[in-house]
Amino acid sequence: MKNEEIKEPIRKKWIWIFLVLNLFSIVPWYFPDSAVEPFIFGFPLWAFISTFFSLVLCAYLSWLCITQWNIVEDEEEADNVKGGKK
Amino acid sequence: MNNLTFAGIDGIIILSAFAVIMLVIGYFSGRGDKNIHESLSGYYLAGRNLGFVALFFTLYATQYSGNTIVGYAPTAYRTGFPWLQSISFMTIIIGVYLLFAPRLYVIAKRRKFITPTDWLTYRFNSKAVTLLSIFLMLWGLGNYLLEQLVAIGQAVAGMTGGTIPYQVAVIAFILVMLAYEWMGGMKAVAFTDVMQGIILMIGIIVFLIGGLYLVGGNFADVTRYIHETEPVKTGVPPLDVSINWFSMLLLVGLGASIYPHAVQRIYSAQSERTLKHSLARMAWMPPITTGFVFVVGIIGIMLYPGLDKAGSEQLVGLMANDIAAINPFYYWIMIIFFGGIVAAIISTADSVLLSFSSMLSNDVYGKFINPNASEHKKVMVGKVGGIIAIIFLLWIAWNPPGTLYEIFVLKFELLVQVFPAFVLGLYWKRLNGKAVFWGMLIGAIVAGALTFTGIRTVYGFHGGIIGLAINFIICVVGSYLNPASQTKSDVEEDITAIKVKA
Repeated sequence: MKNEEIKEPIRKKWIWIFLVLNLFSIVPWYFPDSAVEPFIFGFPLWAFISTFFSLVLCAYLSWLCITQWNIVEDEEEADNVKGGKK
Repeated sequence: MNNLTFAGIDGIIILSAFAVIMLVIGYFSGRGDKNIHESLSGYYLAGRNLGFVALFFTLYATQYSGNTIVGYAPTAYRTGFPWLQSISFMTIIIGVYLLFAPRLYVIAKRRKFITPTDWLTYRFNSKAVTLLSIFLMLWGLGNYLLEQLVAIGQAVAGMTGGTIPYQVAVIAFILVMLAYEWMGGMKAVAFTDVMQGIILMIGIIVFLIGGLYLVGGNFADVTRYIHETEPVKTGVPPLDVSINWFSMLLLVGLGASIYPHAVQRIYSAQSERTLKHSLARMAWMPPITTGFVFVVGIIGIMLYPGLDKAGSEQLVGLMANDIAAINPFYYWIMIIFFGGIVAAIISTADSVLLSFSSMLSNDVYGKFINPNASEHKKVMVGKVGGIIAIIFLLWIAWNPPGTLYEIFVLKFELLVQVFPAFVLGLYWKRLNGKAVFWGMLIGAIVAGALTFTGIRTVYGFHGGIIGLAINFIICVVGSYLNPASQTKSDVEEDITAIKVKA
């Protein structure tokens, strides 16, 4: 396996920048006191937005796991195909 | 959760059924597999061969314990919407895994690590670092286990309406747990986690449906009611609450991801593919677990207004009683749900105990007392040591020391101090053992002192996080001032490289 085919999250800066931005959107430090109404699906406005970004975090992390992480998978799966004899 | 009068004998039936299923699973996981009792990786890591289903559920059932329901619903009741943080702080754990699990998985497979300490020993080759980290991790694990033991008794006694007294309940379930763990090790723990995790998931969903039924099915009415009666609970949180939220993200994210039993699940994965797919699913679990429990707590504000702190701790029990009274279907579902809480506690306790035993086997006995012992003997030492630890912890649970109780509360605060060594060590070649040792020690002392003195948080930041910040600074500054000797760099090159020969 060539080195450039390796995907490791730590090596990609953008992953961590977006992650930190996402966290800063979840924690409700930036709302004015009036951001309570309207209620959306029974959530105060600020809580709704915070929850929305919490779900974005779930989606983002889940997507990262699947697409941005590939170090030994190809080798391991290739070994498996061979009948796991290696 | 006391006085759950709705259950009684029916509760005993369900609990007994669960106990029997767990024992059967344990028996079959250990049967015919000699490797389990002859090798450390066989017993403690299920032969590094956990497939997707088992790995996912063992991650799930271990991470979410009974406290996730019984403790978090009352917290939501008391704090209101700011407790939404429980979704994000459980999710961020996966983000922290992404920081180190990919590389650690590869190195652990190649170097055949059994415990988290193996990595630290390999990386720093320092007795001081190894000993201190063993101490911090065992302490954290021990206290975590103690907490679960206390919770098992309360849950069972509550569920059976006191028919089974607290102490009998604890002993019975611990015996079940010890039995299946003895028979099948990690394999038994993971397979029972599948059953325990499924019950927990179903239980939470049905509990939420029952709760919504009690308030007439409209969550918006609940919020409107809270907004009129207790506007603080729906209002935009003040700054200190937001800071505390950040602090929780850090503390739980960093702490929970390097729990020794969590790290050992990385080691146990059958393949990288299995591991990353399990973690990808885990990222979606907080909304449907702590998120649903949060909604339950909020509903509780309308159903049972004005409970004080002690009263609110009974919230799940109160609500379960009312849901059970709706009709016989809900009655039985609630009994299963409470069985699910017990199962959730046990599924966490068994993993913690296994991890504790593995550290006794591999780290304390295998590294310091008798390194030449056979693996069979090491496994045996861990098993027996685990049982002795359980007996000691039970003794503490039933005879709580009057003044020094805080000692037994410290867990995350201490455990998290291993984080810089663990993760920074993966990527930063310059990091050296001396700096790591002093960072860990001083970080732990600061965190411990803040907890002891009852200060707990400074400007909303938890003592553990403040200790960790100091720890990080010492690691970084210390490594710059005292660079590792040149001769070692070859070794470290090898350690942090991830290229692997097939």
